[in-house]
Amino acid sequence: MTALGLLRSERTKFRTLRATVRLLAGALLVAGTYGFLFGTAAARDYKAASAAAKAAFDPAGAAFRAMLLAGVLVSAVGVLAVTAEYATGTIRAGVTAVPRRAFLVAAKAAVVALVLLPAGPLLALTSFVASQTALAARGVPSLALGDPGVAGAVAGSALFAALLGLYGVALGFLLRRSAGAICLATFLLLLPGMAALLPPGAARWVVTWWPSAAGAQVFAVHPGAGALGPLAGTGVLAATVLALLLAAVAVFRRRDA
Amino acid sequence: MIRLRQLTKRYGEVTAVDDLTVDVRPGVVTGFLGPNGSGKTTTMRMILGLDRPTSGTATISGRPYAGLAAPLREVGALLDAHAVHPRRRAYDHLLWLAQSNDIGRRRIDEVLALVGLGDVARRRPGGFSLGMKQRLGIAAALLGDPPVLLLDEPVNGLDPEGIRWIRTLVRGLAAEGRTVLVSSHLMSEMALTADHLIVVGRGRLIADTGLREFMRSRSPEAVLVRAAAADRLAGLLRAAGASVGTGGGDALTVTGLPSAEIGRVALAHGIALQELTPQWSSLEEAYLDLTRDAVEFAGVPS
Repeated sequence: MTALGLLRSERTKFRTLRATVRLLAGALLVAGTYGFLFGTAAARDYKAASAAAKAAFDPAGAAFRAMLLAGVLVSAVGVLAVTAEYATGTIRAGVTAVPRRAFLVAAKAAVVALVLLPAGPLLALTSFVASQTALAARGVPSLALGDPGVAGAVAGSALFAALLGLYGVALGFLLRRSAGAICLATFLLLLPGMAALLPPGAARWVVTWWPSAAGAQVFAVHPGAGALGPLAGTGVLAATVLALLLAAVAVFRRRDA
Repeated sequence: MIRLRQLTKRYGEVTAVDDLTVDVRPGVVTGFLGPNGSGKTTTMRMILGLDRPTSGTATISGRPYAGLAAPLREVGALLDAHAVHPRRRAYDHLLWLAQSNDIGRRRIDEVLALVGLGDVARRRPGGFSLGMKQRLGIAAALLGDPPVLLLDEPVNGLDPEGIRWIRTLVRGLAAEGRTVLVSSHLMSEMALTADHLIVVGRGRLIADTGLREFMRSRSPEAVLVRAAAADRLAGLLRAAGASVGTGGGDALTVTGLPSAEIGRVALAHGIALQELTPQWSSLEEAYLDLTRDAVEFAGVPS
């Protein structure tokens, strides 16, 4: 049992699952479609806005909003990489082949992260181009790739996608069932979107510190006042994901497979 | 060599495996017998490190499973033939297993040929028959050419051809000097496959014995005798102290007199024997006898 062999093995498992590949294609479709829709909606708002509001308009607002929706599918990639093994019973063969279970989790996590690192920028670019094209087509101010902050956001999306994938892996190991893990992962990811329903103090806390909201700060081309900013935001998401992964390893090691 | 020492597994109130101490030796096929729910699968899962024993130990070649550096090269296991991803090609299923233990690709082709799946390697097991899945499971077990093999109910649901294939394979593997543990709840199958038996019931060891000894120790010996002068012979044998059952026609079932003695009686009186066959009460009966008290859910005789 070598690290390289383990990684190869997990890569083979991942590559030969069609669901994960399809999910990634779906994420690309979501990034493009919703990027365009968010751009279109922003353009419509812009046309109806007052002169003062027009002056304060930030085209970056619509640029990466689709990423959280695409992120739902990205996290599902991580979930399915684990739960497909439970659903089919191959987890037992996996544990028999690799009885050091922490290594098994680590190898699977590494492969999911390595696949999603390049997928992130691809999704972010798609969302960016679709949204800014929608703005520009209606004669509304839009951003170009070369504008300050844009390249950083696109690059940062690599980490964002990888972390969401690992988040899915952790929930997959913890819950073992596809439906349950994907539902929970989705709900927790999109929770900041429902912050308006909470009392103002709680709402402010959620949109700032909730891991998915904090992680999405990587897309803040122009961070607002009081926001964590890309680096700290990604740090919050990363710390949360690490904690979940450690919990997953602890549970997976104790449990009968 | 598989060594179990006071192996115990409890699930809350239920004791699935109860203080099991046995050795499974190399070079013979060891049948692991017991009614459904008697703890065979749980025992195998503990040997493979899938389940954590409540107490006691299971070791393979002196080490616990988790301590094996490349476990697939040390132990091959078939637990559940259905435990393959239905959409992952047979070859790819073996590929990820092989890679995890640094086993070369050539070996994948070898085991696929060995189990007769060479032509369907690129197909998805979702469309496989149970027999084909069983063969794929065997291929996975043999991937690392391991000296120890654990097969859980390998003939369950197979057709006669498949059953015979497994039987021949398993006996061949043991003849190569491997340690082979095959579980079954079917005594009749074990009678044809195993050299040694470990019988469990309700998680407890009931017998750990050679197949022949098991049959002999459990049954009063009877001898089936056929002769043209059956009636005359029956009288002579009774006179010699045997009890003789007449099944009609020319067949006699003789107990209480060994076959050599029966032959001598017949010779002394000039009776030509057509058949003289020692019979052990069927292994099936001996097994049922032994496990009667250990059956978890018994049917009520109607």
